[in-house]
Amino acid sequence: MVDKMDYTPLRIPLGPVHPALKEPISFRVTVRKEEIVDVDVQLGHVHRGIESLAESRNLIQTLYLVERICGICSHSHTTCFTQALEEIGGIKPSWRALYLRTLIFELERMHSHLFLLGIMAYEIGFDTLFMFTWHARENVLDLFEEITGNRIHHSMNTIGGVRWDLSLHMVEKINDSLKEMEKSIKYIEEVFQDKTVEERLCGVGVLGYNEARELCVVGPTARGSGVSMDIRRDYPYAAYSELKESFSVVLRNSADACARTEVRIFELFESINIIRTILDKLPNGAISTGISVLKLMSKIPEGETVSIVEAPRGELLYFVKTNGKEGLLRLKVRTPTIPNVLGLKPMLIGCEIADIPVTAASIDPCMACANRITVINQDKGEARVINWENLRRRGKKQ
Amino acid sequence: MNTIAILLAMVPVVFFISLLFEGIDRKIHARMQKRIGPPIIQPFYDFIKLFNKERIVPVTASSGIFTATPIIAAAAAILGASIPLASLTAETSVVGDLILILYLLAMSSVMVMVGGSSSGNPYGAIGFSRKMTMLIAYEMPMLISIVSVSLNCFSLAYYDIVSTQIRTKSLLAFTRPSMAVAAITFLLCIPATADVVPFDISEAKTEIIHGPLVEYGGPYLALVKLAKAASNFALTFLAMGLFFHLPALLGGYASVGLGAICLCLVTTLILLLLTITVPRTIFARLKIGQAFKFYWLIPLASSIMAVVLSILEL
Amino acid sequence: MRAAARSRIKSPWLFHLNTGSCAGCDIEIVAALTPRYDVERLGCILVGSPRHADVLLVTGPVTRQMLPRFVRVYEQVPEPKAVVAIGACATSGSPFIGSQMIEGPPDKIIPVDIYVAGCPPRPEAIVRGVVTAVKTKFG
Repeated sequence: MVDKMDYTPLRIPLGPVHPALKEPISFRVTVRKEEIVDVDVQLGHVHRGIESLAESRNLIQTLYLVERICGICSHSHTTCFTQALEEIGGIKPSWRALYLRTLIFELERMHSHLFLLGIMAYEIGFDTLFMFTWHARENVLDLFEEITGNRIHHSMNTIGGVRWDLSLHMVEKINDSLKEMEKSIKYIEEVFQDKTVEERLCGVGVLGYNEARELCVVGPTARGSGVSMDIRRDYPYAAYSELKESFSVVLRNSADACARTEVRIFELFESINIIRTILDKLPNGAISTGISVLKLMSKIPEGETVSIVEAPRGELLYFVKTNGKEGLLRLKVRTPTIPNVLGLKPMLIGCEIADIPVTAASIDPCMACANRITVINQDKGEARVINWENLRRRGKKQ
Repeated sequence: MNTIAILLAMVPVVFFISLLFEGIDRKIHARMQKRIGPPIIQPFYDFIKLFNKERIVPVTASSGIFTATPIIAAAAAILGASIPLASLTAETSVVGDLILILYLLAMSSVMVMVGGSSSGNPYGAIGFSRKMTMLIAYEMPMLISIVSVSLNCFSLAYYDIVSTQIRTKSLLAFTRPSMAVAAITFLLCIPATADVVPFDISEAKTEIIHGPLVEYGGPYLALVKLAKAASNFALTFLAMGLFFHLPALLGGYASVGLGAICLCLVTTLILLLLTITVPRTIFARLKIGQAFKFYWLIPLASSIMAVVLSILEL
Repeated sequence: MRAAARSRIKSPWLFHLNTGSCAGCDIEIVAALTPRYDVERLGCILVGSPRHADVLLVTGPVTRQMLPRFVRVYEQVPEPKAVVAIGACATSGSPFIGSQMIEGPPDKIIPVDIYVAGCPPRPEAIVRGVVTAVKTKFG
């Protein structure tokens, strides 16, 4: 009671232009002394109207558009989209193509997690660890460049398979690279257990198990709170149905930023195991259907489907509805950051200002993926957020 | 009058050496991170470039305080660094004693904070409140350790303590247990005074966008950076002179003069690398509560122990 | 004036502004700081406040929400300044051209000095873009 009388709350704007956040997101934080009492998250700064653009383009153009929703998880987006198209069109890629897709998928998971570990170190002021982690990440980007030709936005997927093959020489190179990276990641794990880092990460941004289930958070954010969900194990796609024994789902129970960071570090080790198994078991065969992709595109009939993959940040869901004439009637993208960002408010209440960048980084936000608009009635000047009941009713009507 | 002339002559020397030391600090920091790093004279390029930029004063700032405080901060820091250097060159006490030097250095950091908070930016206000908290945390152990040194040497003048070491041909930190404890306390307080990780909480870049420095640009920023560089140099030079005056070990004519001053500067550089560069590279930033707790537990206790041991003549 | 021009070339401070990009170009900009490319040996630092900056690195096609902030940040950078547009989106807006939410590539709104092409451009290309901007604008 004394606190409420002594200190007036101070509203601090954080973003959208802020050195801690590489992407625009707006927090309006209400602070009393140094303790946060309220958080208002405003998205929408990266809204580029991709879903409406997709309706006026053909399937191949949409494939390249969808890849650029996010630079960090681009392969996840294209995999999800091509999976949906292949399901509608009844096209079955060869097993070699599926294995190569999974290989790039896991390499992308490694690059994304190393990226995030570096950003977490940068947020707590530990520049040296940031430099080390990103130096290790360069190995993965080198592999991408040798296999696909680009460090980011690899365009590996096409309808019916993949575009680049792997030679024996490349397989050896990947194995050597993995050995080096294992050593670096072990060292990074040790440094993350340093006393000053622990003081900053532990006990910060706690999201309990029940709250995590209620808000439907996904990915390492959920696994750090003890919720056991992983699309690779639960609904296997690509080559994961044959790789079940090579990885295990990493869970932690302490539900704070430290737990989420640990989940990601151990997922790096699991990814290394998966990649080694893939390289061992890589089957022979063609990498694509051999039919020109323009012909394939014209063969895809009218239809709709839902496709899910486990992106580095969590569950990524696509609803694709084709119109049978090489175009799309509707594309709906539900990225993992949307539910994760909702988890920020309960995490931040009661923390200090110094914890905001740490917590925001620990859910691994990818703002480019997560922008939606609220319907604002200009005459009345109010924002109308459609609630759950109304949404279900509308969905049932149509 | 002679001493005042030497003091004024030291001002450009301090300007040059403090920026050079900042360059060496950045180079070593980069090398420790497996990078190449900027050339050693980079801070000079930064300073000249900043002086030639547009002068912007935000509309929400109180322009008198905003524009005056960087000048006062830089002047105070350079003066605080010139006094010990002039004392060593003139081989006598110049102008003031330790209390004056520490006051000038404290005033320099407070002036930067006041200027930053007068800019009207909420980040400046947060940085200001954080710095005030840190000031309470680290100033007390530092002052108490100076008290224990003066109890030991029966004087508060800088040159008296240096000449005690020259006379007894020993480094003060190694003469008595009380002085060793006082030296350790003083060195522990330097990272917080210099605003480096793990204690750069008031100027955290990723949390509050440089805190009080967020609205400073152009010439004002150049002066603020100069104030910081001079203040770092002054602190480590003070630590060197009070506790580790290396030329004292040589004795006779080698303990004074130009060669001795060069040896002092080299020792200052080593202390700067130990207390500012190394913590900056190997630690993460602490939160304000944790830093406050640390300073009230360890350095404060050790400084009080140093005083008690001095009184007991140990 | 020679000393002033030389010091501006030797110490360009960068401010990175994301006006709605997919983050590909942004991570290549941050990667330019890491040990392999180490842009600090040229004197560049990534600063946190636009008031400290000399070079503004713009990524992304300018979305409608970011437009007022974009203009405001540009005005906050003190003269003399240089603007470098990084990536295909900042150069021409592709592949988002035609969307209702895009206010156009940055050069419709503020004067841009150097364009760095690529999707995303490599860190070496970004460094070259910054160095060219600094030499031509300040030299």
